[in-house]
Amino acid sequence: MNKGINDYLHFLRRCAGVALVGDWRYRAWLALLGAFCLLGLNAYCRQLAHGLVTTGMSDEVSWGVYIANFTFLVGVAAAAVMMVIPVYVYRNEELHDLVIFGELLSVAAILMCLAFVMVDLGRPDNFWHLIPGIGQFNFPASMLSWDVIVLNGYLVLNVWICGYLLYSRYRGKTPTRWFYIPFVFVAIVWAISIHTVTAFLFVGLGGRPFWNSSIVGPRFLASAFTAGPALIILALQVVRRVTAHAPLHGGEGARKAEVGELKPFVKRPATLEDLEELDRLLPEFEGVSMEMRRTILPELDVIDLEKGDILLRQGDTDSDAYFVFEGRVVIEKEEAGLLRVVGSVGPGAPVGEVSALNETTRTATATAERPTRLLRMHADNLRKVMTCPGMNKNIHARMAERLRITDRALLTLRSIVQVSMLINVFLLLNEVFKEFYSGTHHVASSKYLFFGLHGHHALVPWIWTAVVFNLVAMVLLVLPVSRSLKWLNVTCILAIVGIWIEKGMGMVIPGFVPTPLGEVMEYTPSGSETLICFGIWAFGLLCYTIMLRMAVPILQGRLSKANEEPNAPAAG
Amino acid sequence: MSEQTETTTPEAADPMKRRSFLRAATAGAGMAALAASLKPLLEMEDPPSMERFLQKYYKEMTPEDMKKVLTRIENEVEKEYGKRPHVRDLKPMDGVQFVYCLNLTRCIGCRKCVHACVAENNQSRSPEIQYIRVLKMPHGSLDMEKADHDYTPDQVPEEGYFYMPVQCQQCENPACVKVCPVNATWQESDGITVIDYDWCIGCRYCAAACPYFARRFNFAKPSIPKDRINLDMAYLGNRPRRMGVMEKCHFCIQRTRAGRYPACLEVCPAGARKFGNVLDPESEVAKILATKRVFIQLKEELGTMPRFFYYFDV
Repeated sequence: MNKGINDYLHFLRRCAGVALVGDWRYRAWLALLGAFCLLGLNAYCRQLAHGLVTTGMSDEVSWGVYIANFTFLVGVAAAAVMMVIPVYVYRNEELHDLVIFGELLSVAAILMCLAFVMVDLGRPDNFWHLIPGIGQFNFPASMLSWDVIVLNGYLVLNVWICGYLLYSRYRGKTPTRWFYIPFVFVAIVWAISIHTVTAFLFVGLGGRPFWNSSIVGPRFLASAFTAGPALIILALQVVRRVTAHAPLHGGEGARKAEVGELKPFVKRPATLEDLEELDRLLPEFEGVSMEMRRTILPELDVIDLEKGDILLRQGDTDSDAYFVFEGRVVIEKEEAGLLRVVGSVGPGAPVGEVSALNETTRTATATAERPTRLLRMHADNLRKVMTCPGMNKNIHARMAERLRITDRALLTLRSIVQVSMLINVFLLLNEVFKEFYSGTHHVASSKYLFFGLHGHHALVPWIWTAVVFNLVAMVLLVLPVSRSLKWLNVTCILAIVGIWIEKGMGMVIPGFVPTPLGEVMEYTPSGSETLICFGIWAFGLLCYTIMLRMAVPILQGRLSKANEEPNAPAAG
Repeated sequence: MSEQTETTTPEAADPMKRRSFLRAATAGAGMAALAASLKPLLEMEDPPSMERFLQKYYKEMTPEDMKKVLTRIENEVEKEYGKRPHVRDLKPMDGVQFVYCLNLTRCIGCRKCVHACVAENNQSRSPEIQYIRVLKMPHGSLDMEKADHDYTPDQVPEEGYFYMPVQCQQCENPACVKVCPVNATWQESDGITVIDYDWCIGCRYCAAACPYFARRFNFAKPSIPKDRINLDMAYLGNRPRRMGVMEKCHFCIQRTRAGRYPACLEVCPAGARKFGNVLDPESEVAKILATKRVFIQLKEELGTMPRFFYYFDV
């Protein structure tokens, strides 16, 4: 038991150890976010000192951009479930590892939600009145008390699921299904509930006809399941780009980087017998036809390395992949002048295939641990070999061990965004029809939003921007053009911005205009309010960045219990 | 970066030393930036105090607790305004249900009630907080979107208009009470919905829920001229509020629970305002509700059941 706790604490320490480590771009990014956090904190301190008068809010429009962001971010948090459902309910393996990224995003989003609620409070020092047990918790009457429960519950659920899966991966153990699958299914229902409850926060107010409409709940969900996965599509691509050269902490077991020179390889042309040897070591290779063997054979070499000879050097660029016949190759990564062992590979395993196939620079240095014999194969030939299904699966599985964010996974998310966006626009049309066709008194808020009321039109440019963005995004999503990542990214950005406006400002503010006594007062966020919002977004991004910084090496197997001790051999 | 130039000095030649120096410098700069961003806290206008922070919920206070709290409030007011107030915790009376009736035929829109209310209830003068909003409405319509909130003619009433003062309607089914996440606002047995200003967290959900625009929030620290402070105070009534909490009309608890009329009624020059115990059949309000052919509860369709009735002389 004690050992378990110690192991866990050690795991946390190692995670914390990598949190702030990175190249200059990573540190610059953290510094930038940190600076925005501090600007926001400064503005918030001013708000604490002088009151909410520093914001643009008034008795007439008593909620503003804080609650707008809160509403939007609850949607983002709920949307993580759109990745969980395909994986756990429909067993879509493509998205499997990505679920963690989605859930970490929802953790960050919930933290932002809680921050936005906190900064909206007039008396944050009275916050403890809201804690069940010691305060006065108006449950179940107040929808806000429901929100406290569902948001914090969702936070705990996601932290538990992510934490458990990552810790299992760290220990190299298969997660026990009973420890997380039930929570995953609870989280699915819970995700829908957080957004429904947040919608009910507004829907339940009979005195505000703009919100008091049963379609608001479904609209919230549809827009959440559009904007959330869209945000995840963008985030995953960023992760994919930056993790290619995310270095690891040079803690214990690291040695000074003294990578020797590459010696010319001792090599000879490969023969068909060599390939038969590979068949024995790597059964999937048997599926490669004789015809293909003959085609590629002239370009294959067999290389002999002495102990300590260098096979690949981090940072070099070439497009050769290797298969080990005998011996062992140690993989080391260099960071801040230190080398750290991240794994080693033995007979039958490929080396250097990821960077060869992706045509990126070598992400690690590979050195022969003892006399080693390998087969050298150019990436072009490797691709030919990979037309054989067994090899394709094998190589892909190995790449997946490092990290799998495939384009297919992104396209799966695209189809989620596609369907949700269509539903979202359809529901919006329903609402617009009901309001304007029936033309009752209740249309005043919608009129204010879309066309302006009694000479006030602060929101009109915003909402039409949102409408145009949403419609363009919808059209792009149904067209095949959004299958290309470039257009998909454009589409996602349009959808996110469109929905942020539509259900943030476009949802919260018109509910207050006109006031229940028919007065039209406009709202514009103040500078201080805006800074606080930027600060909270920066805080959320900072949390997400750091969580990814810890999770990615764990998922890649670079941070694991196995490589805790110096030079311990790690799984391939 | 400047790595090459720095390696010329012997001290920086060791990359580890240079690294730890840089780390210390970054941490130092970070702490300085943090301190700078926290600086506005020094100008705190309404700083929290331990006594207030730990104060119990109104309904959970023992009489001794309440005594202490009332003394604390008296001390605070004395310190700030130079005069010692008399703060009471007035409880609702048995067999009493307060009701307000307002005669729309009589109201002339002079807004004397608004100002009497501000003076009586120690409302902030800057920023301005007023519980009563008088709407100038064209004859023949109750459509509030046609109302003028900011009328300033030389003389009232104006031809072709009637005036409708709106304040907290003291609903029998109050939306604001339902939504409050911390029970900081509740309805008392005499029908008055009150707020514990020390318990409110300032989320403003009640303001969003109120269909009558009756609730007012202290966006800044309220300011009241020292010579204008009303020293006759009640805990749930007109004691000075803090920054960041909600307030609203409470039917002048400090008066009405002590047998007096609300300030808005006393000042009305037209006799448009009537107030009393609806459970007493001899009261003015009971008679009005029994005899008038038509009276209006604002936004009746919302099911809030206001205890504030508008009627006409017919």
